[in-house]
Formats: sequence, structure tokens, C-alpha cells
Amino acid sequence: MTVARVSPEPSGQIAQARVVASVVDLKIHFESKAGRVHAVDGVDFDIRDGETLGLVGETGCGKTVTARSFLRLVPMPPGIHAGGAVFFRPHQRCANCAGEGCVECGDTGRLPIECPQCLGGGCHACDDTGSETIDLSTLPDRALRDIRGDRIAMIFQDPAKALNPALTVRAQIAEVFYQHRTTELLERAGLGSRPNPLLRRHITQRARTIERGLLALPPLRSRRDRIERVVDDLVAAALAETQIPNPLKVMARYPHELSGGMKQRVMIAQALACNPDLLIADEPTTALDVTVQARIMELIKDLQSRHKSAVLYISHDLSLVRRICDRVAVMYAGRIVEIGRTEEIFADPLHPYTRGLLAAIPSRSHDRGRLVAIRGTVPELIDPPPSCRFVARCDYAVEVCGTIDPELTSGPDQHGVACFIHHPPDRAGEVPSFSRRTS
Amino acid sequence: MAVETAVGSPVAPVVGGLKTRLNRLGELSREVLGNPTTLIGVILIVAMIGMAVFAPLLIEANTPNPYQMPRDWGALNEPPGTPGHVLGTTQQGGDVLYGVIWGSRISLRLSIIVVSITVIIGLVVGSLAGYLGGRVDELLMRVVDVFLSIPELIFALAIAAVLGPSFGNIILALAAVFWVKYARIIRGQVIHIKQNEYVDAARVIGDSKLRIYMKDVLPNSITPVVVQATLDMGNVVLIGATLSFIGLAEAGLAEWGVLVSQGQAGISAGRWWASTFPGLMVFLWALAFNLVGDGLRDILDPRTESKR
Amino acid sequence: MTAAAQQTGVARADLRGEIAISVRDLYKHFPIREGALQRVAGHVRAVDGVSFDVRRGETVGLVGESGCGKTTLGRCVSGLTDPTMGGVYFDLTTAENERIDAILAVPENGRTPEMTADLEDIDRLHRIDRLKNKEWLRYRRNCQVVFQDAFASLNPRQLVREIVGRPLKVHNEASGNELTERVVELLERVGMSRQHLYRYPHQFSGGQRQRLSIARAMALDPELIVLDEPTSALDVSVQAQILNLLNELQQDLDLTYLFITHDLSVIRHMADRVVVMYLGKVSEAGSTEDIFDDARHPYTHALLRASPDVDDDPDAALVTLEGSVPDPARPPQGCRFHTRCPVATETCGWEVDDVVRWLEDEQGMFETLTDVAREDAFTADLVFSDESSAERLATALRSESVPSAAREALIEMKTETTRVHVAFKPVPEIELTRRGPGHVAACVHDQMPALD
Repeated sequence: MTVARVSPEPSGQIAQARVVASVVDLKIHFESKAGRVHAVDGVDFDIRDGETLGLVGETGCGKTVTARSFLRLVPMPPGIHAGGAVFFRPHQRCANCAGEGCVECGDTGRLPIECPQCLGGGCHACDDTGSETIDLSTLPDRALRDIRGDRIAMIFQDPAKALNPALTVRAQIAEVFYQHRTTELLERAGLGSRPNPLLRRHITQRARTIERGLLALPPLRSRRDRIERVVDDLVAAALAETQIPNPLKVMARYPHELSGGMKQRVMIAQALACNPDLLIADEPTTALDVTVQARIMELIKDLQSRHKSAVLYISHDLSLVRRICDRVAVMYAGRIVEIGRTEEIFADPLHPYTRGLLAAIPSRSHDRGRLVAIRGTVPELIDPPPSCRFVARCDYAVEVCGTIDPELTSGPDQHGVACFIHHPPDRAGEVPSFSRRTS
Repeated sequence: MAVETAVGSPVAPVVGGLKTRLNRLGELSREVLGNPTTLIGVILIVAMIGMAVFAPLLIEANTPNPYQMPRDWGALNEPPGTPGHVLGTTQQGGDVLYGVIWGSRISLRLSIIVVSITVIIGLVVGSLAGYLGGRVDELLMRVVDVFLSIPELIFALAIAAVLGPSFGNIILALAAVFWVKYARIIRGQVIHIKQNEYVDAARVIGDSKLRIYMKDVLPNSITPVVVQATLDMGNVVLIGATLSFIGLAEAGLAEWGVLVSQGQAGISAGRWWASTFPGLMVFLWALAFNLVGDGLRDILDPRTESKR
Repeated sequence: MTAAAQQTGVARADLRGEIAISVRDLYKHFPIREGALQRVAGHVRAVDGVSFDVRRGETVGLVGESGCGKTTLGRCVSGLTDPTMGGVYFDLTTAENERIDAILAVPENGRTPEMTADLEDIDRLHRIDRLKNKEWLRYRRNCQVVFQDAFASLNPRQLVREIVGRPLKVHNEASGNELTERVVELLERVGMSRQHLYRYPHQFSGGQRQRLSIARAMALDPELIVLDEPTSALDVSVQAQILNLLNELQQDLDLTYLFITHDLSVIRHMADRVVVMYLGKVSEAGSTEDIFDDARHPYTHALLRASPDVDDDPDAALVTLEGSVPDPARPPQGCRFHTRCPVATETCGWEVDDVVRWLEDEQGMFETLTDVAREDAFTADLVFSDESSAERLATALRSESVPSAAREALIEMKTETTRVHVAFKPVPEIELTRRGPGHVAACVHDQMPALD
């Protein structure tokens, strides 16, 4: 099945950036008593290095499942990977500047890894980019663990539930460094690359109780302490980046002693600790108050411009998305129905669903009681027949809309939409149009 | 579909509601029976209860007291397979099969009476403590704490020993020990459920405290009690058998624990049947109820409930 | 008006007053118990002196962030909690309302016997926590609630018919078939139908459950509905449906709404008047236009500028608010908002606790603070473990790191080895002042000064 790619020739500043992740025809289904639920049913999009892509939709549209499938956080069973792939181009620490940022790495501290097959020349496996491309959906667990937290990080909706209540803030963030920055820790502690194996096990958190006891004894203790001090510095630096006042004090606290906004900052600090290539933010501000929400969003924007990482921002709130995303993808019933630059989407929404969503938000332009509500409800996604999923709620639907699936097709200005109004099917029959309401 | 009832008829709301509730029950049953271990438990329970209920039909009752083991002086210590005594006889000439079948009646009686008493007492105490809170709660929970600090078996032993060996006293002893469990369970549930908004909603409507308890709090708190009661149906017999094994029931009773105790002496002499079959029954009874109880717990877990 | 309601004589026509709800000097404090003996160590001052009116037929929006006390206030108004002090009055005439204001303005010992008697009469007939029997029933029937979490507000073990029909049953208005028909009527009113009668709550979507909640609230034909975040948990398009429904019902049945939410765009759409709460008190109140177009309180401004609106210029920066909400057990002096206010002045209530808070945020300072000997909220001695820390504090209090307004309010500072004595200008609680017809704000500024 040919897949319509939506991002052929990007233009402008973003165009120069490379594609860091690519979702290709992703299908994730769930087995349930009632049948097979097609939660994510053929999703395609690219995320470019340095951009913020918003994934917007209402409850049940599949956005969270899509986001979680990057890190294989969807429980399988009952989930089933029914098709498609999630491609990712991991970067490595720029050797030139040791991750601090320099001209060579474009000030990001990260450089793409050379494709092992073509050694940078360009081949089929790396889609001619020359950078190593891996498929996250089939990667062995061990390799995926290395990527989680290091190259791809995720922040969740409810920080209270995402932070371990039994660990101090320091312990929580230190975990990331222990797991992914072993060599760097040893270097900074001045212990060289061939330390005592016990020390190594301490760092990778595999030391058994007896070993921990040995590490507390004088000969090894001072070296262990040096490592711990390095970790302290790194954790404090990560916290300071999120503008937490007095990081040393916060480090010693437990999550329940912190406010919602602080917890979220801790989570962000943990996520960005290793300078990831991709940050996935799953509704990070929904559980927060409006004023705190504004601060956190500003923080994410600021950090992203500094680290130049890519951000996949999941939300149901269009007004929020408008403020921090470069591009937006609108999801409905397991598919992307519209994708394009933020200004485009808001200035000229093409899909009837997007139009409906925008019209439903209470704002100055609406008289009381006259919010345009999209009639009907989201369809059950159990073994759906071929048809546009929005057909039952669409004011412009015609016969063809109920018989074949519209594909996400790109138009001028990379504004893609999956609707026959804009990309009529090549077959005879009535074509829908905005000028003709059918209900 | 089913019967069409005229909307205007007085039966309509009853029928409509009944249909949905029956459906729900059907769903639950299917889930219960779908799990193989639970199914085995259910089959065992049905078999044993059937045995208890139909005892007089299965084997002729002893006179004058059917709960006393019959004595056949002519057939002492007969091994299983002797004509007329399928499972053999005891040292006193009692038919082991008789003991197994009539013993199930006693076990059923025991578990139903004890569980009913303890659930009711526990419910009342726990509900009062949880629903009214404050001093009532403090006072009642201190009482519960006292009871909980005494080990179950020892306590039951002490009571039975003081009151004298009789089956009725065993029932009392067990009841005295088991009720605290329910009080604590219900209290915890009530306190938790009380905080739900639908309880607030009922208050806003203006419903009385008692009705709110009966309609909103109790039905939603009862699940762990049901699970515990099922498990206790098994455990009660286990502990009861233990008590009668130590000699706290009248001798000659057609009860599994008594039989195991009396058949003990013969084991070293190779007469295994007098203890083994009754012992096996105790095991099966406890096992069956535990299997079903566990199965129920998995199904009635509130996490899975809300998903449905 | 339904036939049954007519029968029981508590139909809307019976309600004479123009003011559905009158909140007067309402306080609700929750004791904090500590220690093995559960001593009361302090109080969470959830609602700390609130007064406002809700007139018949209008929608009053109660906004604020979490911890401001709006939910607690809602519970007091709907009769779920009794206030610690002050009262909620139901169904007053304008005359009665004015009488209460007049009486309450006079301290208790200065009141004439006539005043006391009048107050008692009004209390007996209108004050929610003092009502009995007939008056209580009348209030209970006329004040209903729609909760935020529709799933949690419907008994999961009851069928729709029982849930929605329960008010009718409790007040003996209908039973059997008649009840069923009344329930169907209510269901159809909220956009649902007869086929939903015999189902359980978990079989419905979030929007449908909220409709059921609304249907139940309408069962007794009430006059006033308190809506506690009714659409916060719903998707945007479902929210639109519910808001449209609520509007329709209000038009058709002449309902009064107290709409509690944190979502400003919903408030602007639904409310006639808005009350903004911060840390247990009203910081500003007025008509919707007043609040949104002519806000006079810095907190209101902060809320408005922090809420993204689809119509706004996307490039306009979101103005963020520093600091966090202070402990409701120890609310700040003067204006409660002064700890985070970008335009605070020296008369906004700077106090010792502010210094302590700064110390907490400074690296290494809090650990060296050994004691705070308070004379009162504005004057205290801060004792450190060493002289250098005391010096650091003294220098900091004179530097730019402390807002200039605070420095101006600091009338005395003396350093003595390890002790630093600080005294701020004492300032009373900032009260609500009138800014226009029906528009009040509790701020020392007359107009909002320019921020950037």
C-alpha cells in the first residue's frame, strides 16, 4: 500500500533540520471482549530536529497510544502492533565540545550517528540521509532501554503519579545519569575508564548489599564519594536549568513535599538531563493551574530552544498548542486528519473536524448558548469498515465519504488533509464541498 | 427479543430493571465460570453442598441422632471395599462413608451459621464506626483492636474449653473470633466510599442518612465482604475441624475433625482409611471455597469493575 | 411548573426574593491536627471572609486556582458543609438583604434589641445552617448541585431510572409508572431518551453522564443550581454541547447558576457576573465585562494573561506569575497577593514571613537560621548560627534582590552579631473597595499600573 508522505520538501529554517523521527503507517490495535479496537490505524508523520510538533485530538483519538509507542510503553497484550514502524535517528554526544555545544554540532552538543551500512554515504536503510536509522517498534529490549531516558525522554500528565514517592528528587534524577552516563561519571570523577569493577557496579546500580557494604569501607569509599559528588553537581545543574530556586534544597526533598509546578519541573529536569534528541510531552500541563501552566510552557519552550531537541507535544487544548508548536497534527479516531504549520491550521483549517473543534472553543466571538458543537460522538473503533471516520458527524458528507477511506494528502505549503473535499477521489460520483451542507 | 411489555403496565419498570440486572449477573457468572480454577472450586462446592443437602437420601440416617456415628459392632476396623462399607469402618464400627456424608451437613451448618453471625455483627459494628466516625469510631475500634490482639485459634480454644466441649460452643467460639475481620473491612470501605461524590449528591437531594447508607454506601462497600465471607466458609470448617480434632466436640460426632482424631491411632497400624477420607474432605472443602473466593476477588476488583 | 410541585406548594412562584443566595462574612476553617493526642495545631483557612450575592436568574461565575477556596465555598452554599462563621442566606428580598447588611455593619454589642430580633427572624427563615423542617425542605428542593466528576457523582450500582428519579422518590412526588414517565421527560430534556432508562452509569460516555447529572439536578424543578467545574473533565466539543444545554435550560426555566470553574474562557462565555477568589478571599468581583475588559486587581490580570485564548495574538507572550500560592494556614498580611504581585507597594503588607520565605529560596541561608522571635507579624528578631549569615541577610535586605516596595516598608533593621532585628510598617488587611457599579477590588492601586 502506498503511503502518502506529507513532508516531501520542507522549506524555511525547519527544512535545514534533519528528520529525527518518522512514524510510518503505524497501527496499534487492542483486543477486547467486544472485538479488535483500532486505536491507532495508519498514522504517518515526521518530526524534525529542533521543531515542536503538536499532536492534538480529543479523548480516544489515539494520540497517547501513538506517543507511548515510541518508547514501547503500550502494554502488549492487550495491545497488538498491527503494522507500521517508528523510525528514529539517534544522535551521539559531540566529541568536539563534549556535549557543551559548538559550531560543529550547531550548538546542540549532539551529532547524528553514521549509518553503519553505508558509512554516511546514503543507502536504503537510512533513507539516504547517511544517519543511522533504527526501527523502535522492533528494537530488542536491551537497546531500547539504552534509548529511553537518554535519546528519547518523556514527561507525563500527572507529575504526582510519574514521580516515585519513595525516592528523593536527587535519587530520581541521578538514576538517569547512572544508567546512561557511566563513562562520563567516571571521567569527571577522575577515575579513568577502567575502575574497580565494584565501582562500576555501584554506578550502574547493580551493586548487591554486600558489595555496597564493601564500597563504604575506606579504600573504595573516597572514590565512591567522588562519583557521588559528580552526580550531585550534574543533578543540581539539571534542576537549575528548570529555574528551580535553591536546587540543593529541592534535591533532598521527596515529591510529596513539592507543589504541582515544582514536581513538573523535576520531571522536566529528569527528562532533559541527558540532552535527548526527542522529548515527548504527554499533556504536561493539564493537571496544573493556569498560572503555573503558563510558566511550565514557557520553560519547555525555553529549554527546547536552548537544547534544540525535537518535541512531540500531545494535547487536547488547541489554544495551548497554538502558542508553542511549530507544526500541528490533528488526530481523530486513530488517524491523522490534518497536518501542517500552526499558523496555517488556525488561519485556514481544512478538515471539517478541525473546523468543528475550533468553533467549539468558547471565546469572545461566540454568543452565549451558540457554541458550535459537533453533533454525535466518536465512533466505536471496532473493526471499522472502509469509510471516513468522521462521516456520521460531518455536515458535508456525501455517499463516497462512507465507502472509502480518505488518505492524508499533502497540498500546497505542506498542509496535509485527509478529506475528499480537498482531494476528491478519482472515481465517478458526487464530490463533497464546503458550499453544500448535506445535513 | 424478549417479552414486550406495554409501557403503561405497572410491571414495566420492574421488568426493565430486572432485565439489566439479570444481564449483569449473567456477565459476572460467565466470568466466574470462565476461569478454570474457579470453575473447579464451584463444581466442588456444588458437589459437597449437594451431598450435605441430600444426605438422608444418600445414606440412611442413624437413629436416634443422625449426627452420631452409627456403630456396627460386627464390623470393626474393616478396610475399604468391604460390602456395606465402601470406605471402611472406624475403630468403633462406624461407617466412614456415613461420616463423610453426614459430616458435610455439619460442616455446611457450621460455616453458614458462623459466617452469617460474624458478617452481621461485623457489618453493624464496622458500619457504625465508619459511617458515624468520631467517638463512636474510636470506641468501637479499640474494642476491635483488643479482639485482634488475641490469636484466633488460641482464643477459640479458650472459649470452647471454658464453655465445655460441644459443637454449639465451637460455633460460639469461632463467631467471637471471626467478626472483627468484617468490622475492619467494612469500616475501611465505608470511610472510603463515604467520600465519593454520589454520597454528596444523595445528601444534596435531601435523602436521610439511613437511606444513604443503605442505597449508596453499603452496596458499594460490600464486595470485599463477599470475598472474605466466601473464603471464610472454607476457613471456618478448617478451624472447626482443628478444634474438634483437639477434642472440643462431643465424642462420636459424625464430624470430620472428630473422625480424623479418632482414626489417628490406627494409622501406625496401617488403618489409614478412618482418618484419611474425612481429612480429605476438610481439605477439599477449604480448597473449594478458597478457589472460588480468589476467583471472586479477581472479578470484583474495583479496578476491573470500572473498566466494564 | 409541574403539577406535583404545585401540589406541595413549593413551586418557584412561592419564592419571593430577588436574591437567590446571599453570602455574608463567610468563614470556613479546617483544623490541622498534629501529634499523638491530635491537638489542633492551626487552621487551614479555606474560606476567610467572603461576601457576595447571587441574584435570581443570573449566572455568577466563581473563579480561582486550586486552593483558593471556591470548592469549599460551593459546598457551603449547597449545604454540604456548615460554615465556621458567617452565613449563607437563601431567597431574600432586596429589602431583607439591605436590612442584613445594615445590621451586620454594626458590631454585636452595639445592636439594638430590635436589630437582634430582626436578624434572628431572618436567620430562622433564610439562613441555610439554621433552617428546619418546611424551610429546610424548601431550600433543599430549590438548591441542587452538578458535580465535576460525573462518574463519581452517579452511584455505579444504580440504574439511570433510579438515579435520576431518586429526588422524586425522596420527596414523595412520584412512584412507579409516574416516576418512570417523569424520568423520561427529564432525560429528553437533556438530550437523552427512554432507551437509557435501564442502564448503568459505566455504560455511558463522559458527556452523557454529565447530562444524567444535570437531569437529576432538574428533577425537583429547582431555582438554583451550583455547578462545580461541570465541564472541566470533558473534551472541548462535548463541553460545547453541555454548555449549550445549560444555557437552554436556564432560558427556558429561569434558572440561577453559581458556576464554579478555573477556566476563564468558559466563564466569559457563561457568566453575567464574576467573583475572583485568591487564598480564601475575594480579590475582585464585578460584571463579566468589568472583569475581562477593566480588571483592577493584579491577580485578575495575571489570570487573564496566563490563559491562552484562541483569538489572542499567538506571538504575544504569556505573562507568567512568579512564586507559588502561600500556605492557607498562614495567609500573608495586608494583601494576600503581595508575595507574588508585580506591582506591590510598600503598603501592601510586607511582613516577617516574607523574609523567611526569601531565606528559604536562598542557597545555604535557611539552614543557618536557628530561630525567629516574633513580636508580631511585622516585627521580629531573626537569629542565625553565625555572624556572616546575619550579615548576608542584612546586606540582602538592602539590595536589589529584595523588591523596592519591601525595602521601603522596612522601617527598622538592626544587626547585632548573630541577630537581625527587622520591623515592617504594620498594615491592616486590604479590603474590597468600590470601583464602579457592582465592581469591587481589593487592591491599593486605583488603576492597574503599566507592567512592562
